[in-house]
Amino acid sequence: MKILIVDDETEFLDLMHKRLERRGMEVDTADNGTDAVARVEQGAYDAVVLDVKMPGMDGLETLRRIKALRPEVPVVLLTGHASLGAALTGMELGAFDYMLKPVAINELIFKLGEAVRHA
Amino acid sequence: MGGFFHTLGALFRRQDVPAPGDGVPDAETERLRALYRERCSRFRLLLSANKSALEIMADMEEALRGVRPFGMTYVRGACTRACASVFQIVRHLNALSDDRWPELETKFDEIRAGIEAVVAPHVRAGGGPLVLPIAETGVDLADQAGGKMANLGEIRRRLGITVPDGFVVTASGYQRFMEAGGLQEEIDRRVQAADATRLDEVFALSASIQQLILAAPVPDDLAGAITAQVERLAGPPHDARTGPHPGINACSGAEVRFAVRSSAVGEDSLDASFAGQYRSELNVPPEDVLDTFKDIVASKYGVTAMTYRLARGIPDEDVPMCVGCLVMVDAVAGGVAYSRNPLDLRDNTVVINAVPGLPKAVVDGSFSPDVFVVSREVPMAVAQRQIAAKPQRFVRDPIEGVRLEDMPPDLVDAPCIDDARALEIAALAAGFEVFYGEPQDIEWAVCPEGVLTILQSRPLREARHDELPEGECAPVAGDDGTDAAETDAAGSALSGGDVAAGPTESGPLPGGYNCGESGPPVLLLGGTPVSPGAGAGLAHVVRKDMDLLSFPDGGVLVIERALPRWAPLLSRASAVVAEAGGAAGHLASVAREYGVPALFGLPRAAELLEHAGIVTVDADNRRVHPGRIEDILGHAPRRNLMEGSPVHTALAEAARLVLPLNLLDPESPRFAPAHCRTLHDITRFCHEKSVEVLFGAPDPTSPAGPGAQRLGKQLRVNGTKLQYWLLDIDGGFRKPVPGPVVDLADIASAPMLALWDGMTAVPWAGPPATDARGFLSVMLESTVNPDLEPTAATTLANRNFLMISRDYCNLQARFGYHFCTVEAMAADNPHENYVTFQFKGGAASADRRALRARFVGEVLEARGFRADVKDDALFASLEGLPKERILTLVRGVGYLLIHTRQIDMVAHNERVFGPIRDRIAADMAKIAPVAG
Repeated sequence: MKILIVDDETEFLDLMHKRLERRGMEVDTADNGTDAVARVEQGAYDAVVLDVKMPGMDGLETLRRIKALRPEVPVVLLTGHASLGAALTGMELGAFDYMLKPVAINELIFKLGEAVRHA
Repeated sequence: MGGFFHTLGALFRRQDVPAPGDGVPDAETERLRALYRERCSRFRLLLSANKSALEIMADMEEALRGVRPFGMTYVRGACTRACASVFQIVRHLNALSDDRWPELETKFDEIRAGIEAVVAPHVRAGGGPLVLPIAETGVDLADQAGGKMANLGEIRRRLGITVPDGFVVTASGYQRFMEAGGLQEEIDRRVQAADATRLDEVFALSASIQQLILAAPVPDDLAGAITAQVERLAGPPHDARTGPHPGINACSGAEVRFAVRSSAVGEDSLDASFAGQYRSELNVPPEDVLDTFKDIVASKYGVTAMTYRLARGIPDEDVPMCVGCLVMVDAVAGGVAYSRNPLDLRDNTVVINAVPGLPKAVVDGSFSPDVFVVSREVPMAVAQRQIAAKPQRFVRDPIEGVRLEDMPPDLVDAPCIDDARALEIAALAAGFEVFYGEPQDIEWAVCPEGVLTILQSRPLREARHDELPEGECAPVAGDDGTDAAETDAAGSALSGGDVAAGPTESGPLPGGYNCGESGPPVLLLGGTPVSPGAGAGLAHVVRKDMDLLSFPDGGVLVIERALPRWAPLLSRASAVVAEAGGAAGHLASVAREYGVPALFGLPRAAELLEHAGIVTVDADNRRVHPGRIEDILGHAPRRNLMEGSPVHTALAEAARLVLPLNLLDPESPRFAPAHCRTLHDITRFCHEKSVEVLFGAPDPTSPAGPGAQRLGKQLRVNGTKLQYWLLDIDGGFRKPVPGPVVDLADIASAPMLALWDGMTAVPWAGPPATDARGFLSVMLESTVNPDLEPTAATTLANRNFLMISRDYCNLQARFGYHFCTVEAMAADNPHENYVTFQFKGGAASADRRALRARFVGEVLEARGFRADVKDDALFASLEGLPKERILTLVRGVGYLLIHTRQIDMVAHNERVFGPIRDRIAADMAKIAPVAG
């Protein structure tokens, strides 16, 4: 399974990268929306994990562009803000699911598995 | 039925189209099959969202009981998660059913809007002045100036009492700072992302947020307003000629310095003391005031303050941090005065704690103070004096701000104030009580010129009365210094007492109370009870911050000095023992507030209790006993600190739109979207309907014609048809099954076979023999729960459903009120594999159901599951194991599914339950042994 994780917090990226790789996943990271969109355009990802709140192009805009490029790639949104509006908007934009930080790694892996099986 | 299934059925019934599995399918058949698999996949997602929703609801239910602290971030997070899951459920059901229930979306939006209104952060009106001189504040401005500074203004204005001159950075000023550059937003994001119940995470979070605040620039308009005030009081910078401003206070000395302290809104007025959580900086030079302002604001996110707000259910946004800057009083003596005895407000005395130098030593619990007990009877008189040894005092220092200085030897044992001063302070304290209409806690200082200055006054918190001792034991010699103190050989009720030389066999020790002829053994004796009651737990000595992290839940906190920095542990401690510190300190205040028994002033306690194991601290009788002594502990339940707090109230309000289940009976005409009033109702409705849509769909492959058969196949074992219906997603059957029934022998799904194996491995003994109480409990539940009605017709609502593929199995079984769910994936790649088992409810009363859930959880945990038990709900899961191990565990779950039915009825009765438990353990050891 090949995953792209997008988050402006590099510490979080490194941690997730390590943990997901340990579970047998292939992981790429991007620390901003523009980079993420470029990577999705080039690479074949099974799923994208995307932080909603980023400086520059924010998560929802990134999601919109990813979905325009590759509607079939499932996107799991992550956020540190419990914002109901953002959660529902994200899912209406085509996000597969929405998770709040702190993320339990098992839960994320389960969600990714679900997303990929469903895709 | 929905259009999709209709089309599918119609197509498959065409004679020229081969049924699935017969020969080569044409493109159209293949497309429809793909569509069908898509529907099955959606159904799985719906079940998964259903599981998340129920999990969050169980968690909210538990949180509401107030057994653990939580903040607004929890409330918002839980509501968002619940809404997001239910949104998914609705979306999946409507996709599955070709939009058969569009009104569900309207209902969902209504409920969601209601929840959002409850949890949305309320916006505080800004626009007031950024700073206010103390002289212009008063209690009418408490929302702008914070309670502490508003009170000082009030005292000056209404009572004409001397208070330091100064100013306060208002709530508007604070807001201005926090909103500049999105500081608050970034803080909220970090708070949300951390697990506030883990102390190590709180430490990391606290450090990161404080750094963020310290690094943030103060916006120009605010900085200008603060600097103008500082110059008003201290003169323009680098201009020594101007000298001090002739302020209200006459004690500022030659060079004006500031005491910069928190004055958070609500700090003193809520039913919460916030004692000692925020920073105060003393003797700050004018040029450092701006930076110190940020230090104080940052202390809002100190570990102590964050854990306190969490424990008391106070939202962060309800605490704007106003900051007071007062001209520093060069105190020769200072301290705290209580207009009543904090351990017993009915006691007619004023209690004064006094130290030489700055009053800091009293409030931070560093030293034992002199104590004066003044009788309030007119004329007031000093009833008791307890003069402590005071080897050091805090004084102002131009470099360090304040420092400790050795006392001249002849003053170490001398009273730091005389009786006349004590009476002056007592009169003031009594006057404040009349003025405010409630007992007061006053911080005071005497400047070199002899003027008594008031630094703050706030309502006095009283210790709980329900735990004050009764019976034949001598009353607590708290601050009252009455008869008990006179008989106490230790002689100083507030400044420490005798300590036994070490563990003793039994009986009262010299210098202690004699509570009876032969009491339990005593480890330590003496000291001052600063918070009443008794508690027991593992003694844990805390000397440094690292020790905080290893503190066990329910432990006895043992410390050398009663410093406020240990307060984060009080919500988890069962009792506190300190070598030094008095009843007037912050830690003592917080202990009383939390209802944690505390005994201070026991020299060598840390050394003697270090390896003592479990101890019982009897604060009322000033003893520490080895072991846990139930007779002493009594049965007073721990105070629920969350109850009635703003956070708890917000959760309760949101929960009214989430938790109650009104849709109980699927057969009732009221089981409809129009009657959904909560997220739980929607969840229940969607689950029921999704099963109906999927399993009740017409079977396109049936030879009997349209509508005659349903897609779900009934399971037949040894010729008997059972109440289990199966749906094959992909390769779950060995061969095409054209009729309405499928034989067990035709099942290919490995996890389903393993599950069935476990379910039938041992014949069920039937419901356990119950006593009359168990039976009554079930009867009672039955009257409120129609699903348990034994005469109910066998309808769709009584069936169990299995969705299977070659490697996958999902069982939705009806055991009671909720569906019980088992889901398993057992494929060749271990990374894909998992087992989850989830149930809730039962027939017996709530406590017995909870016992059963805990028991099943323990059995599964022993096998490597993570089992989360919330009341009577169990959520267990495990993943990443090889196929064979997964199948073994699925077998075990199948066994448990059958054999733990109805054991909730006897779970409280050890005589009946013991043998059942043993039998289950023995069976499980054979069916699914614990991995070696």
